[in-house]
Amino acid sequence: MFKKADIILVVIIIIVAAIGYAGITIYRTAAANDVKIAEIIQDSKVIRTINLDALKSPLRIQVSGDYHEVILAEKGRIRFEDADCPDRICVKTGWLTKVGESASCVPNRVMIKIKGESQKVDGVTY
Amino acid sequence: MINLKNKLYLIMPYIRSILNIIQINKIIIVICKLSQRQVFMKKIVFAVLLVCTVGIVVYLCSAKSDKPVEQQGFYMGTIISERVSGHNAKKAADQAMEEIKRLEGLMTINANDSEIDKLNAAAGKNPVKLSKESMYVLKTALKYAGLSNGAFDVTVGPLVKTWGVFTDHPRVPAQNEINNLLKLVNYRDVQIDQTNGTAALRNPGQIVDLGGIAKGYAGDAVIDIYKKNGIKSAYIDLGGNVVVLGSKPDGSPWRVGIQNPRAPTGKYIGILNVTNKAVVTSGDYERYFEMDGKRYHHILDPHTGYPSNSGLISTTIITDSSTEADALSTATFVLGLEKGKKLVESLKGVEAVFITADKKIYITKGLKNIFTFDDESKEYTYVQEG
Repeated sequence: MFKKADIILVVIIIIVAAIGYAGITIYRTAAANDVKIAEIIQDSKVIRTINLDALKSPLRIQVSGDYHEVILAEKGRIRFEDADCPDRICVKTGWLTKVGESASCVPNRVMIKIKGESQKVDGVTY
Repeated sequence: MINLKNKLYLIMPYIRSILNIIQINKIIIVICKLSQRQVFMKKIVFAVLLVCTVGIVVYLCSAKSDKPVEQQGFYMGTIISERVSGHNAKKAADQAMEEIKRLEGLMTINANDSEIDKLNAAAGKNPVKLSKESMYVLKTALKYAGLSNGAFDVTVGPLVKTWGVFTDHPRVPAQNEINNLLKLVNYRDVQIDQTNGTAALRNPGQIVDLGGIAKGYAGDAVIDIYKKNGIKSAYIDLGGNVVVLGSKPDGSPWRVGIQNPRAPTGKYIGILNVTNKAVVTSGDYERYFEMDGKRYHHILDPHTGYPSNSGLISTTIITDSSTEADALSTATFVLGLEKGKKLVESLKGVEAVFITADKKIYITKGLKNIFTFDDESKEYTYVQEG
């Protein structure tokens, strides 16, 4: 029933399907990691989402709670600019520029992160 | 009832794809009947069917790796982040946070009504009944105190309190103050009564502080909860203590960076590829304060009463139990490179990464194939031995 040409056809179709699928997957991950979306989380809840790539001018966000913090977002990056918490570890962390990076202020239970998975590591032990 | 719902949800895509195939078949048959050149059509039909089948199979395979549940919580004086994959992921992640909160309530000494607070309040007086969790943690702590000859010692409480590194007002105590406090530090003064499930401290004023091991235990407890919920892949970070269950959803190992001790949080000097492991780091950069131009960090040497000055600035332990990894990371940090390495090598299934003050990185043999040196700062030297 099958001719040689049929088998070739089947093989070609499978290859085309596989390449297409691989292409879509790569494109999707690349697209997802290209756009830098920052999230500000307080008490486990997302209180603000910012598209860092779409920012035209710097944006300052005030976060209150037990302590007070100023978060500064610019095109492609975000950081804790100022805080009145005792250890100021959040400010010392500096700029977050890459997907998967995060900074947190434990005393005020606030975290900022750039959403998505880092290409190289899943996390860092410290 | 919930189970049934979950199962229905599971098989729905399969049912849908089967229906799709049947529908496509019907259409194809109609086209075939309409067509005059049936043999040619059959081939086209076959091709179309094949494409659809391949597409569906690929879709089903990829649909398996659902988006993981990611959430954060602030407990045990730090930030907890979890990433859990699987069908009960949300439930498992929530239960894990609840468990961490509960364990904090048992073991903290910052709330005045925990079991450990009661144990400390009864120091020099009477034994106190402990939960089996606190008992296990205390016993493990004493085990590693013995193995490290007191380099890791949970009775360091009076010193921690006086230095106040974890408070808003840390200070450098006077030498005679430290000398007096050192008399209270001795893990051999913790008396455990297995049969009655009680513990006691020999002398008044002694304080047990589980800060160097409780997070570690919480990591193990969380992994148990994940397993009970049928989770096969999860990553939890308890203030820098990383514990992973299984491998990543795509089957590859988890990639855990080791913090660069002299760079902002998140910058690393190397990467470990791990599955089913706890990766715990102790470093002089986690908590510290500066006074008169001098830097004082939070890991106190139980023998001197001062911040540990062993020549190490970071130690990472990789092993199965997060509780043991936590105790050992502190112990080896205080012991220093030579003694720390010796201790790790004497234990089965334990590996370590050491970073010295002169920015040299040492690893134990078992890590050769899973550690990758990757230092963006270009300040560190990877010392490969043998």
